[in-house]
Amino acid sequence: MALLEVDNLSIGYQTRNGTFQAVDGVSFSLESGRSLGFVGESGCGKTTLGLALMGLLPPNGRIRQGSIRFEGEELVGLPEDRMRTIRWRKIAMVFQAAMNALNPVHRVADQVAEAIFTHEPALSREEVNTRVEGLFQLVGVPKDRMRDYPHQYSGGMKQRAVIAMALACRPRLIIADEPTTALDVIVQDQILEETKNLQQQFGISIIFISHDISIVADVCHDIGIMYAGQIVEYGAREEVFETPVHPYTRALLASYPTLNGTISRLKPIPGETPNLISPPPGCRFCDRCPGAGKTCVTARPSWVEISPRHKALCHSCS
Amino acid sequence: MEPRRFIFRRLIQIFVIFFVILTVLFLLFRLAPGDPISRMIDPDMTTEDAERLREQLGLDEPLWVQYVYYVRNFFTGEFGTSFHYGQPVVKIIWDRLPNTVLLFTSSIILSAFVGVFLGKIASWHKGGKIDSVLTIGALVTHTVFLPWLALILIWVFAYKLAWFPITGMVSEEVWLDPEAGIVAKALDVFHHMALPLCTLFLIHFGAYLLIMRSSMLETLKEDYILTARAKGLEERVIRNRHAAPNAALPVVTSIGLSLAFSINGGALTETVFTWPGIGRELVFSVSHNDYPLAQASFLLIAIVVLLSNLVVDVLYAYLDPRIRY
Repeated sequence: MALLEVDNLSIGYQTRNGTFQAVDGVSFSLESGRSLGFVGESGCGKTTLGLALMGLLPPNGRIRQGSIRFEGEELVGLPEDRMRTIRWRKIAMVFQAAMNALNPVHRVADQVAEAIFTHEPALSREEVNTRVEGLFQLVGVPKDRMRDYPHQYSGGMKQRAVIAMALACRPRLIIADEPTTALDVIVQDQILEETKNLQQQFGISIIFISHDISIVADVCHDIGIMYAGQIVEYGAREEVFETPVHPYTRALLASYPTLNGTISRLKPIPGETPNLISPPPGCRFCDRCPGAGKTCVTARPSWVEISPRHKALCHSCS
Repeated sequence: MEPRRFIFRRLIQIFVIFFVILTVLFLLFRLAPGDPISRMIDPDMTTEDAERLREQLGLDEPLWVQYVYYVRNFFTGEFGTSFHYGQPVVKIIWDRLPNTVLLFTSSIILSAFVGVFLGKIASWHKGGKIDSVLTIGALVTHTVFLPWLALILIWVFAYKLAWFPITGMVSEEVWLDPEAGIVAKALDVFHHMALPLCTLFLIHFGAYLLIMRSSMLETLKEDYILTARAKGLEERVIRNRHAAPNAALPVVTSIGLSLAFSINGGALTETVFTWPGIGRELVFSVSHNDYPLAQASFLLIAIVVLLSNLVVDVLYAYLDPRIRY
């Protein structure tokens, strides 16, 4: 049984102009100890998806249909107090530290300890302290900086502290939403490297959410490419990168610079994402797709299996 | 910055600002219409007597010499004698100051605590019935005209219901009674203080409520609140431990600012309730051209406002670690 199974999940935001369909019919599953990356541009629904897995959608967000099963337990419609015991204990989150993910008025170590106290109230003060110290050591924050306040940390240290906090209750799954976005590439690389090590060391599953395809390529076993609320291509990392089939994935890869390989001009993707309050009836990418045909405009595409570990949502990919 | 250095620097700033106030006050009194002598002299005095008095008081000297005397007197604690009471100004002020401090400290503490507490509740129920009642109630009590509110309270609770005394701070029968213990005396003061305290509380708590409410709503949108939710904390813990300490910071600032206001408002409250405090003395001294007393009262208010701002700064640094360093 997979650790996490998401089936046909759709999420809508109530707005004044109607329901904004942020996530539409997303299905995937994640095995224990594996990592899955979601890539897509801003507004493609990847953050909404992450929040939905934690049951943390904003008040105007609602799961319209579908299911999220974690360790066999259905999370959609789960009572709040049961959900609270799953949050952090089972599924933790690494936020972007450039956001104010840490509370400015509490010491960093206290914020990490708080997660442990909340979920394991039976532990003594000393046991918690020992574990917090171990976590800081693990992520490489010096022990004498533990009692500092967040504003005394550099961006990289904050990110490490946020990772330490995510590991505090030894979760089964970590959702990392743009964890390295505001960091310079050197610190970014260090953190990604450490994340990989930690994942292997503890056998934690990770869902990596990023707009940066190179980061996901570096860390994840499987990749889902998201566009306008849907997963449009899904598969093992090597297959998606080496033989991308969906026109959007190809366009996305062509729009990123690469150090090795042929030197070519970066190709921006023309056009804009569709309006998700009244999405087009056919393929959502058809307006911007160079190879769009008649059926693409009128009919919803269905999944095309390229290999057992690679599929795409497209009319013309087969 | 190191806390001691921070306070030292603020003290220097305060000293400079105070000197400016001292000077402005000096000029203001010299510019004011009316002759201070006219209040003191007897109609029977001759012009020579008046001149001699003027000389004695140093009023014949050039303005800058008067200013030097004025500053020197201030720093030697020499504030002169009240024209009206014929007593040293320092003594009058020392008599009145504790009464004002008692009334205002209790009203500010009470209204800040209640305001913060109710503001927090209003923000939890944003858009609901409780929120509407609290917000509208706060707006009404905060914007109502203070003397009117005071008079209504006196009319209902002191005159009609006779639950509280109408004026003053103490009852003679209690304070002159040799048998009365400290508890009875304290209760008597609280009995007299109830209505003025109520007035100040009703006027002020609304401001704290509204500030706390909007600040809380802003704070609840912060990313660290999402972190706290993701950590699986209960809503109550999120609000009290993660949102409220951040949201309360603007309230602390407004306490400092409202202190200046409450002394103005204090003059009104003290006058309506004949509370023997500095505010009432200030109104009295100005309307009776009692210059030494008025001058000293104004300076005292300036000192109180400046020092309370210092206290707020220090408190702020204590509450928000980002300011401390």
